[in-house]
Amino acid sequence: MAPSSKLRAKSRVPTSLFDPRQTPGLWFIIPAAIALLVVVAYPLLYGFYISLFKTNLLTRWEFVGVKNYLRIFTSSDFLETVFTTLIFTIGTVAGQFTIGLSLALLLNTKVPGRAFFRTILIVPWLFPEVVVALLWKWMFNPLYGLFNDILLKLHLITEPTTWLGNTATAMPSVILTAIWKGYPLVMLLMLAGLQAIPQEQYESAEIDGANWRQSFFYITLPSLRKVIMISLILNTVWWFKHFAIIWILTQGGPIKATSVISIDIYKTAFESFSFGPAAALAVIVFFIVFFISFVYQRLLGRDD
Amino acid sequence: MTRKQRQRFHMTAVFITLLLASSFVIVPVLWMFSTSIKTMEEMFSLPIKWIPEVISWNAYKRIWTDYPFGRYIFNSILVVSGATLISLLVSSLAGYGASRFRFLGRTAFLTFLLITQMFPSIMLLIPYFKLMKTFGLINTYGGLILAYISFTIPLASWLMLGYFDSIPKELDDAASIDGASRWRTFWQIVMPLALPGLAATAIYAFIVGWNEYMFALVLASDPSVKTVPVGIGELIGQYRIAWNDMMAVSLVVSIPLIIIFLFLQKYLVSSLTAGAVKG
Repeated sequence: MAPSSKLRAKSRVPTSLFDPRQTPGLWFIIPAAIALLVVVAYPLLYGFYISLFKTNLLTRWEFVGVKNYLRIFTSSDFLETVFTTLIFTIGTVAGQFTIGLSLALLLNTKVPGRAFFRTILIVPWLFPEVVVALLWKWMFNPLYGLFNDILLKLHLITEPTTWLGNTATAMPSVILTAIWKGYPLVMLLMLAGLQAIPQEQYESAEIDGANWRQSFFYITLPSLRKVIMISLILNTVWWFKHFAIIWILTQGGPIKATSVISIDIYKTAFESFSFGPAAALAVIVFFIVFFISFVYQRLLGRDD
Repeated sequence: MTRKQRQRFHMTAVFITLLLASSFVIVPVLWMFSTSIKTMEEMFSLPIKWIPEVISWNAYKRIWTDYPFGRYIFNSILVVSGATLISLLVSSLAGYGASRFRFLGRTAFLTFLLITQMFPSIMLLIPYFKLMKTFGLINTYGGLILAYISFTIPLASWLMLGYFDSIPKELDDAASIDGASRWRTFWQIVMPLALPGLAATAIYAFIVGWNEYMFALVLASDPSVKTVPVGIGELIGQYRIAWNDMMAVSLVVSIPLIIIFLFLQKYLVSSLTAGAVKG
């Protein structure tokens, strides 16, 4: 799962790419390459092709060129959807990152029972997205749900709230669910990163009189830079295009409060049967996601 | 405070924080279980009781009699096993090739694997829908397996590549000096050593396939091929939602995989994080 490092491995080996001793490698990757061409590359190109048509995929195929794209870019709906998606993604990724890193730091101490805590804390990640979404939907139930019940008992709210049915609270509720589902992966990655930091670094820093804050900012964070980058990129990409949890919790509603791009594409395609514009939207998402990971790599520094 | 006292105070704070964090996991899961053993009346009555007055295991019976979950589970196992097996086969070959050889096209292949992580799977959904209609693959196991290998092969290839990289290359060299062919080296020398990696990869591929929702929702809507996540998701559409049945079936389809994962967690987690940490 360390893409760039494995791509880079090439440069360590001073053999020529045309060296006949290296060609068997090609035979080994051919089955996977063919499979991916068939199930990924070809459908992707075909999706791009569909995006140039006005079509219901059955009887009607009217070539419209880039009109689908132009219409998307000139409509205010698109900007609104992108904005909604960004709110969801940023909220989810930031929440998962903060919680995941904090828990990893806590688990990296000599606290008693840490194996037990780690096991418990992984669990949400192992439930299927659909199950997580349904569980939270039931917890958010305004009348019989646990969420209101606990908040009422703690006197944090005075009357039951319809968390998912209210434009102001729907997005935070959806984000909370997504954070619950996804923080364990960040936690595991960060924990592995922390455990790879040599203990001597902390010991010598302590001898030099560094306090914990200095140790954290001058040893821990720099050592984690690569893990942080990988987990931020992967997470942003995953949650930017997320579908299942939001679909089950709110179907994009109420009104359009949680209508992220994936939901929009799904509805455009399979409810309005405008497959052309939906395919065009999907192509645009690809470039947005590509752009996001590019920006991250720039911001967090070269990976070497 | 002495140093020792301070440390003890510190550990107590860490312990309490972790306990609190764990309760955010334990409480919802217990709530799931508590709901699943309630009767419809008690589920919709106030105040909320954690232990119902009438403990009813009927939901665990109903999911087999009143709903076709037996069938859905069978479908899921078939589709996901199929996709997992295909992925293991081609990915162990690809992982080995990319780990041991530096040929033309290797970088292109690895970059392509990486890009598959980037595009939204919904981007494949529309062309899949059309292509599978054309080729008669809608509502078939084969169609869904094809859709699933689009994400299990890249995942499995990365994991296998990482695992092969951790097996010393000197082994291959020794085998080839002894006259073994490339294929024999792979199959008889390296592959047996890679079995733990293969097992970990299989579990990950199975979990992502088992949990997949969107492709199955569109490509396998017929009850004869419907998978578990879609079957569970459907229960939400009813007027009076049977949360107890839903929570029961949710637990039944999640717990086996969770137990397997937790038993093997140390080893599974290290194979997942290896690449991200070492670099």
